[in-house]
Amino acid sequence: MKIPEKLQLTLVEYLIWVIIIITFIIFSLTIPRYFTLKNILFILYVAAPLGFLVFGESVALLTGNMDLSLAQNAGLSAMLVGVILVDWAPWLPGWFGIVLIVLVGALLGAINGFFIGKLDINPFLITLSTFLMFDWATYYLRRGAIVNVPKALLVAGGGRIGLIYNAILILLGITVFLYILLEHTRFGNAIRSTGGNPQASAMLGINVGIVNFWTFTLGGALAGVSGLLYIGYLKCIPSTIADGAIFLAFAGAIIGGVSLKGGRGSIIGALGGVILIGVIDAGCTMTAIDPALRGILNGFVLLIAILINRSRDSLRDHILMPKIRTEVRIKK
Amino acid sequence: MKSKDSVKKEPLISGHKINKYYGKIHALKDLDFEVYPGEILGLIGDNGAGKSTLIKIISGVIPKNSGQICWKGKEVNISSVKQARNLGIETVYQDRAVVGCLSVAQNIFLGREPVFSWGPFKFLNKKKMYQETSKLAHNLKLNIPSPDQEVRFCSGGEMQGTAISRAMYFKAELVVLDEPTTALAISGVQKVLAFVEQLKKENIASIFVTHNLHHVYAAADRFLVMAQGGKVAEAKKEEIDVEGLTNLQLRKNEENISN
Repeated sequence: MKIPEKLQLTLVEYLIWVIIIITFIIFSLTIPRYFTLKNILFILYVAAPLGFLVFGESVALLTGNMDLSLAQNAGLSAMLVGVILVDWAPWLPGWFGIVLIVLVGALLGAINGFFIGKLDINPFLITLSTFLMFDWATYYLRRGAIVNVPKALLVAGGGRIGLIYNAILILLGITVFLYILLEHTRFGNAIRSTGGNPQASAMLGINVGIVNFWTFTLGGALAGVSGLLYIGYLKCIPSTIADGAIFLAFAGAIIGGVSLKGGRGSIIGALGGVILIGVIDAGCTMTAIDPALRGILNGFVLLIAILINRSRDSLRDHILMPKIRTEVRIKK
Repeated sequence: MKSKDSVKKEPLISGHKINKYYGKIHALKDLDFEVYPGEILGLIGDNGAGKSTLIKIISGVIPKNSGQICWKGKEVNISSVKQARNLGIETVYQDRAVVGCLSVAQNIFLGREPVFSWGPFKFLNKKKMYQETSKLAHNLKLNIPSPDQEVRFCSGGEMQGTAISRAMYFKAELVVLDEPTTALAISGVQKVLAFVEQLKKENIASIFVTHNLHHVYAAADRFLVMAQGGKVAEAKKEEIDVEGLTNLQLRKNEENISN
């Protein structure tokens, strides 16, 4: 029996979810109390701050760029807003901090966007330099941690409604927003075409520089949200906040099937990448595995994902190909 | 060598004493040209003759240094691709102006997608894109299984067809085809020639740029032969054959060498 083409394509397209389910089942069978609603919610809750970095990285990759500075952006946004609310202007209302942190993130992203979009400088070089600047600026603002964080800043990343953490709702809400933005708007099409073929896009009247600028600004805003969720998760703002998360942000996007070559990938896939990392992370935590081994495992999962995605792409091409092949045969 | 009926009609686009310099290189020298509504002009000449420079100026990619361009009798300044498109000039750049990872439908509408509004927000009207693409593909006899087909799976001829569909959908009045047959297999060439024929049927004028005289001879109504940035000759199809065109091109080259 032949599996219908549409189903085949859907399976290939959403392969990441199949992998998540398999991984989840394996953990559920081997770890007691892994398969509980509480644990599932906790997995999502822990993965949410990283999720926004993965989303930011995904949109950057979709335009054919990359952003090394996202995690440091999240850290600096969090620290700057923390210092403003605690030391510089304690009279500011707490909710204002939530708005401010997203704005600061967007602004830091816009700096990258300006150099990459307007001056057409290599994104690796620009975001490497902003990575260093953001990283050390965070450390310069505060060596150590802000512990008396205003309550309003903790609600987003730490609060919950009933069983559901706010962070999960925010993550899913933004997933829907990004999905609509990428799949159902002109800007989304422009992002993909810029990543797929910048020269052709420019010839067709798409302002590639502007698209890049706004993509990095959007990525920055997402990093700001990530910073906000890290604050709520950690209940404080350490100067090492989100350190090293950039590697997992790349990993999540790649595991989710976003292509480094630009133009290809989906936000739903990226969400899958985040969740897979979360599922594995929780499994490691609950078995109290050596953190070093956990790090190695993450790298191993990335390697497997790269290999799977490669064969996934050719499988996808293979499913789509035959129709054209017959035409070629007639031609020859 | 203008015939009577083309003198009567007003040119769709005409250029007068157009000059273009790239640094010290004089790429276009006082060039005059015109294209009449609904005709196919074969623009021919060897490499470096100035063909590409001319069409880049017409399609708004680069500015001219001097001279004037008239669109339907009125002087215009084509300063951007967008402006050229607004006038009704669409350019088909071989297979270079398609995005492989997007679908045929997305490629045709790229940058000008139909949208519907929902409050202050605008969303893609994917249904319309899909339907219009089906219609266009049917009219042009494009060999694609569905408008969702990614362009990277298309043959070279189909890619050109996608680009030509843009011109047809957005009601271009002048289509500039930059070396449309150069990179194609024989079947692809025939396809593109059929596309050009279809454009003519819809009364869309085109400029067919190539150095393959056989391809252009089959398609064009009139020829403009360029060399060294200037006009060598202009001829209607009835007045000249492929050999004649070849000789024109070669003779000019030899003159340049002997000079």
